[in-house]
Amino acid sequence: MTWQQVVDDFKTWARVNSPWVVHFNTGSCNGCDIEILATLTPRYDLERFGVKLEGSPRHGDVLICTGPVTLQARDRLLRVYEQMPEPKFVIAVGSCAISGGVFQGCYNIIGHVDEVLPVDVYIPGCPPRPEAIIDGVVKLLGHLKDPAPQANIEEAN
Amino acid sequence: MDTPQTLKIAGELLTGLAKNAAYPEESRLDITLEPRDLQEAVGKLAAARWGYLATITGLDQLAAGQLEILYHFCAGAAILTLRISVPRSPIPTIDSICSVFPYASIYERELGEMLGVIVTHTPNTARLFLADGWPNDVYPLRKDAVLEIRQE
Amino acid sequence: MNTVPERFVVPIGPQHPALKEPGHFEFTVDGEQVTAASVRLGYAHRGIEKATEGRNWVQNLYLLERICGICSHIHATAYCLGVEKLAGVTAPPRAQAIRVVVAELERIHSHLLWLGVAAHEAGFDTLFMYSWRDRETVMDILEALTGNRVNYSANLLGGVKFDMTPELQDMILKGLEFLEQRTHDYVAVVTTDATLLQRTRGVGVTSREQVEELGLIGPTARASGALRDLRVESPYAAYADFPIVPVTATEGDLEARFVVRLKELFESYRLIRLILEKLPEGELQARMPRKIKPAETISRVEAPRGELFYFIKSNGTDQPERIKVRTPTLCNLASVCILAVGSQLADVPMILAGVDPCFSCNDRAVSIHSTKLGEKQWTWAQLRQYGIDYYRR
Repeated sequence: MTWQQVVDDFKTWARVNSPWVVHFNTGSCNGCDIEILATLTPRYDLERFGVKLEGSPRHGDVLICTGPVTLQARDRLLRVYEQMPEPKFVIAVGSCAISGGVFQGCYNIIGHVDEVLPVDVYIPGCPPRPEAIIDGVVKLLGHLKDPAPQANIEEAN
Repeated sequence: MDTPQTLKIAGELLTGLAKNAAYPEESRLDITLEPRDLQEAVGKLAAARWGYLATITGLDQLAAGQLEILYHFCAGAAILTLRISVPRSPIPTIDSICSVFPYASIYERELGEMLGVIVTHTPNTARLFLADGWPNDVYPLRKDAVLEIRQE
Repeated sequence: MNTVPERFVVPIGPQHPALKEPGHFEFTVDGEQVTAASVRLGYAHRGIEKATEGRNWVQNLYLLERICGICSHIHATAYCLGVEKLAGVTAPPRAQAIRVVVAELERIHSHLLWLGVAAHEAGFDTLFMYSWRDRETVMDILEALTGNRVNYSANLLGGVKFDMTPELQDMILKGLEFLEQRTHDYVAVVTTDATLLQRTRGVGVTSREQVEELGLIGPTARASGALRDLRVESPYAAYADFPIVPVTATEGDLEARFVVRLKELFESYRLIRLILEKLPEGELQARMPRKIKPAETISRVEAPRGELFYFIKSNGTDQPERIKVRTPTLCNLASVCILAVGSQLADVPMILAGVDPCFSCNDRAVSIHSTKLGEKQWTWAQLRQYGIDYYRR
């Protein structure tokens, strides 16, 4: 095992045990946002997986997006994503972030999140239940551990 | 004070100015005005401390070639609507009521942005809620607006 | 030396740690004092008003419910009441009563949510965690009742979807008992905890006159002594049969807003119990026509944040001609920029939280109060260039 491998393994270990998430609302109705917040509170307690909600994108590992992407939010979403350090991961929460949801066809909507960013995990629902969000995050953690992410996703399905 | 009486007071305040008055529902009074009388009418309501401005609605009457602008005032359960019509083309123009109701500013900006109504003397005409890159001559709430709608 | 003082602008948002919603604020500060404030919304503007014109009456119910995920039921209620008025249909009394029960449950969830968020803004995360833990009780009730935690879809045009079974009633009553006892604790905390009081007492005071001047509504207005509550002023749905006692305070500061919202919870508990006790029997839904003759109506309801205003115009088809929505936050947000000027920067998040803002409700933008000196705003490209030049030196 080379020194580089040791360092990489250490980084992965740290990341899997404590991913910091950044939340960005790209035009959501708040339904998903309050459920994400509920996920962090005592009943669901996402923090037991080491997940911490972080304000600054510069410290974030995972970007959680909610809502269809509006024209005005698009550039800001890209900017937040660009500010995050590599490697970074994106979770799309809710029907709107996945497909535009009920807002499909509205004039101010660009579409779903993966038209703008590469998305790693999709969590469907309007809004998804906190359990579903936890499941999505745990799947992502599995994905982080695994060097072949594609295989992992297929297995999860 | 009960609702019909509140509405009656509003009706009496605006008797000289009203082109037409109607009671479409029990709690509502609609008064049609000439655009030039709007300032005076709003001033009278404010002086009598009759209710507050709930919002301003713009309606595109495409067939009639008019834009109808509705000022909704509420006092308790009573709703007074002042209706004015301006021609759709070339440029629909109305005068601001911000000197009387400063908080009308946001509604007037919305009117300008969504329906292309020029509101003169309004304190702020900066872009309200359309995106920064939105074209200047497209007004989404006009019935004939050509919007590039993405269909999946 | 430069005699013109440099203006320092603190930009906050659209992505920011405190609020979960996108809004962009710019506070110009002189030391710690805020000298000007502006806000740009529109990050969540989706164009819903236009979209309603291309969907039929039933589809719009589900679209409008998603204007806001926190007060979804009240949006649907305002819409249903308006459309029912246009069609000349009245929902049966049992349906109206269930609507009110869900609306009050929603108010409980919304106020507890707000309590947590406001406590979080004040740096009092313990209260945030406690209130959100207790909020799960009401979320469980809403889920058992309607099948979803958020966006309940309890309303149908002409009635409601769900009936109130005896088991559900038991569950609700049990939940309310627990919440009522907890709410007493919260009232004690917000009125006695010294650290929280430092952040709330005498901060962001809004006078009765300012309420009139700025057109404030909802709990924000009620905390300043203005009785603006449509459940009392213009009872809709079942509020005429089950009246509420409005809660007001006179101080107008943030503490008063905490107290008013918490005391409203007791009123909600009482009302729900009363309705469950005297729930009218009968049908759940009246028949609605598919097309509605041309007419106009206005529907106003009291959302957790204040008056919600719907203007609905039909044109004889199965689609509306125009729907205009005026949400309560839009009225109240203007006050934030005015109250923020002159206060400490550290108090600004609390003042903002004090009106319980809801940006997705707004999907609009306001910019108010620019003061004397020329504002110096940098574009992103300029700022980036400045950074590059700075480090090259």
